[in-house]
Amino acid sequence: MSSRIGLLLRLAPAALLIAAAVAGPWLTPHPLDAPVTAPYGPPGGDAPLGGDQLGRDVLSRLLAGGRELIAMALFIAVLVTGISAVLGAVGALRPRVGRVVERAADVLILLPAVLGILLITLSWPDGGRFAVIGVAVVLGVPYAVRFVAGAAAPVAASGYVEAATAGGERLGHLVLYEVLPNLRATVLALFGLRFVAAVYLVATAGFLQVGPQPPAADWALMIRENTAGVLLNPWGVLAPGIAIGLLAVSVNLAAEALAPRTGPRAVLPL
Amino acid sequence: MDLTRRRFLWAGGGVGAAALLAACSEGGTSASSGADSGPPRKGGTLRIGALGRSGAVIRDPHGTQSNESDYLIISLLFDTLTAPGRGTNTAARLASAWKASDDLKTWRFTIAEGATFHDGSPVTADDVVWSLRRLRDTPAGASRLPGIRSENITADGAGTVVLVSDYANAELPLLTRLTTFVMKKDTKDSELDRAPGTGPFKLDRFRDGNARLVRNDRWHGGAVLLDAIEVTLFQTPQAMANALLGGQIDVASNVGPVAARIAAARRDIQVIRRPDDMAMPIVMRTADGPFADARVREALRLAVDRDAMVEQVLSGYGTVGNDVLGTGDPAYVGAGIAQRRRDLVKARQLLRQAAFDTSKTYELYTTEDIAGLAESATLFATQVREAGVDIKVVKQESAAFWDKTWLKGDLYTSYWGTNDSVVFFASKTMVSDSGQNESGWKDPAFDTAYRKAIGAADAGERKAALREIQRIQHERSGYILWGMADGIDLAGPKVRGLPRLPGYGRVQLERAWLAS
Amino acid sequence: MAGLLRRPDPNRRAWRVVLAVVRRAVLLAVLLAVVFAAVELLPGDAATATSERGEGEAALAERRHLLGLDRPLFTRFWEWMAGLPTGDLGTSARGVPVAELLGGPFPNTLLLGGLALAVTAAVSPALGCWASLRPGGAVDRTVRGSATAVLALPEFVVAVGLLLVLSSWTGWFPAVTLTGPDGGVADPSMLVLPVLALAIPQIGWNTRIARAALADESRAPHIETAVLDGLPRRRILLHHLLPGAVPAIAIGVATSTGMLFGGAVVVETVFNYPGIGGVLTGAVTDRDAPLVAGVVALTGAVITGVLLVADLLRVRFTGGRA
Repeated sequence: MSSRIGLLLRLAPAALLIAAAVAGPWLTPHPLDAPVTAPYGPPGGDAPLGGDQLGRDVLSRLLAGGRELIAMALFIAVLVTGISAVLGAVGALRPRVGRVVERAADVLILLPAVLGILLITLSWPDGGRFAVIGVAVVLGVPYAVRFVAGAAAPVAASGYVEAATAGGERLGHLVLYEVLPNLRATVLALFGLRFVAAVYLVATAGFLQVGPQPPAADWALMIRENTAGVLLNPWGVLAPGIAIGLLAVSVNLAAEALAPRTGPRAVLPL
Repeated sequence: MDLTRRRFLWAGGGVGAAALLAACSEGGTSASSGADSGPPRKGGTLRIGALGRSGAVIRDPHGTQSNESDYLIISLLFDTLTAPGRGTNTAARLASAWKASDDLKTWRFTIAEGATFHDGSPVTADDVVWSLRRLRDTPAGASRLPGIRSENITADGAGTVVLVSDYANAELPLLTRLTTFVMKKDTKDSELDRAPGTGPFKLDRFRDGNARLVRNDRWHGGAVLLDAIEVTLFQTPQAMANALLGGQIDVASNVGPVAARIAAARRDIQVIRRPDDMAMPIVMRTADGPFADARVREALRLAVDRDAMVEQVLSGYGTVGNDVLGTGDPAYVGAGIAQRRRDLVKARQLLRQAAFDTSKTYELYTTEDIAGLAESATLFATQVREAGVDIKVVKQESAAFWDKTWLKGDLYTSYWGTNDSVVFFASKTMVSDSGQNESGWKDPAFDTAYRKAIGAADAGERKAALREIQRIQHERSGYILWGMADGIDLAGPKVRGLPRLPGYGRVQLERAWLAS
Repeated sequence: MAGLLRRPDPNRRAWRVVLAVVRRAVLLAVLLAVVFAAVELLPGDAATATSERGEGEAALAERRHLLGLDRPLFTRFWEWMAGLPTGDLGTSARGVPVAELLGGPFPNTLLLGGLALAVTAAVSPALGCWASLRPGGAVDRTVRGSATAVLALPEFVVAVGLLLVLSSWTGWFPAVTLTGPDGGVADPSMLVLPVLALAIPQIGWNTRIARAALADESRAPHIETAVLDGLPRRRILLHHLLPGAVPAIAIGVATSTGMLFGGAVVVETVFNYPGIGGVLTGAVTDRDAPLVAGVVALTGAVITGVLLVADLLRVRFTGGRA
């Protein structure tokens, strides 16, 4: 019981932060696009965190700027986890598929995520959000499959799966009804890790101006846009920086809490 | 935030004297921003930072320099025939004088007395002709030297170059101000990096866009005071500002208003404002689409809050515009045309009269090529909403913007990095058949006035035609020119004699010196 | 150290080495092919991206011809791939050899990434060992907690934080990296912030890997024997635990190379560091495909090299078994 409370305590910061980011856009004191101070105006009056490069209220933009980032990261995490769970289970049942995925991972390890983002942007300039999702999936799935396959191998070799295979069950049935139900803990842990990786990737892409575009309010964009005036109003950079930092750390903490105590650990952040 | 990927109209244009604001450093050392206190002193090395991208470094004087740092280095090593001047659009540089025939088609340029290359050989008309033809034969040559065919650039003796234009052009010398860098005849492309120039400085070393230049003691333009200039390339304005604040460079060239505000708190840093440096007009398509009705364009021009734009987008470092391009030109009428002010009531009225569909959302395309451009679009959208027009800002990647939106879009932001003359803007962007008619404008009355302006030999007639050009432009063109940004340089306490001209005038460092 | 291992057959080990090298080379070639294909999907091309205002269609066609964009795809691919081993990376969209454009910046990025990798490789195992001395103790909990906290931070967030605290507010380190006359970094102090920004998240990551590898290793039978023999903890750690954990730690650090390179591109823009970051962002704006492909090829080669070292370490520490 106490361990359950401990688990909840470790999940709480991430849950609170995500809830705040989702509700944030409804709580903004000022419109997001109207100037309320001088450009990079210092904190004071009705702008407690001062103004950004157009004098827009930093607090309002901070409240509104996390939802998209979190939604994208969640979507990517769900997508990568889903694809990898299925592929990993298939790989455990059909070693040839497993080997192909392995080789893909070996190739993609040579392509840093940032270069991946820039490459996709180059070939798909209007891709924006989808380009980021595409990169995250292409680069994330091979590693995640390794993680699942490692846990799925003993399950695939177990007696009841062998029996089902001998009974002529189709591959789809085996994956969905025999293997994956036994990997619940692994998949949950993987989801946590992929969410952490996705936050990193979406934020970095945002900083490189892939994904959200001005004048949208977005934490990574805020950092990029307001770095120039960091000496005039540091909050324009500090506030979103702290927000991304807290999000990364708290989500990571939650992912840790979900991970099984044993089993494979060496899943790269990307 | 990102570096400018400037696409210049290389045909010259007048960087006129901004006679208005003489000394305008804020805080700090009052009006001594480069004001020559005491007699100029010889010696010292000036470390200057300029914007650029290391991947886009171009060494060819006739290439497409998108880096300000490259253009700065080339301008100090090589001379153009003419240059932007104070109080006049065109001042002498390598050409000491020029004269037109009566029909304004044939122009004769005299090469400055005693001009030599860095290797000691004298500059001849043949060198100039070879260089101008080389420039004319570049892919963009036709827009750099419009109306002048390669075979119509000839030498007349050793000291005179003759240019024959296809049509009468009273403003031809304007074309020779920016890229007509003169190299030695038959300079090979493979030897460009060490090619001798005629400029006030000689190349000492060059690496990855950073260069050290040393004084040319024999420069034809007079005594150069600095021993050397070290040019450092910076990817971003804030990195450059940080380097200046940290004392790693003496001058931060074209660093922008944010840096100026940071520096305003520092007594030891001079802020140099060069008015009329950059135009950031909003372009409305006049040929077709939702803004084809002149009343709608007028409504948008009345909806924009110009003072707020200058205050928020430029941090106040700029001047309010009046929808006429060419504000730095001595021929600019300024107060001769009443300043347009915000009038939301009238704007709504005009939109109603024009039966403008206010239920739709219109897209305003922009890029982040230069600081403040995307911000100006964002604020404009916020302001015109108060007149009932719903505008959504779409930021495009630079390449896509120039491919798809520029010259074609219904509503987009543009910018001109040199404050060119009234005639220049008219010829490039507003005459019916101009190659870069940004708003698809065809106005017979305007075309007539323009032809008068460049074909009239009589000064009074020209002046009247120039006024007419501006009046029509103010009344019904496709431009909303809400303001002009100042060019802003920061300098350490010892720097004197820095250039004050807008646009490319900022590269004229041959008179700068360092106080002890 | 090697006394713990069986004497492997030397021929077999040599064969393993050759196999590892060939495998990595093939993987790199596949990546390059993928990159070239991705770049070829461009809607626009370099000729339009680097044109000036006012260039006509004819000028564009001429530029395409100059850049060789009008030749068949396969010919260009073959020439590019064939040129790579000789150091010829093709020609950029502006008509400059890519090798020339990257010749100055790439060594700088290599220096930055290399220093960050060295810091990571030195600090992570040390922290891991320090935490392992007293499993579950205060040091262990602190090290693991902080490692977990920093490993997920994006580099640009760390970079901006460091910039504010260690430069803007205290003035301890320069905020901007300037180039010296030789094209390198003007002053070593300028490297501190970029290297820290890159290394901190990777140290967090690798410390955890090292800690886990040591924990796994401590369950091995020969370790239990050593503990029962009453050997001092430090000796057990250095002579018995660490050698067994080296392959896992090496692979962890090697896989960090990619993260470091990717992070370097971002961090360089924050500190105006004269590396490939600036070249790359500009190249994307210009749609300068050959330049981007060149950068990817170079980083891929470097990462391949580091992974190969890790492979060879594994061969070394596990003999012929792997």
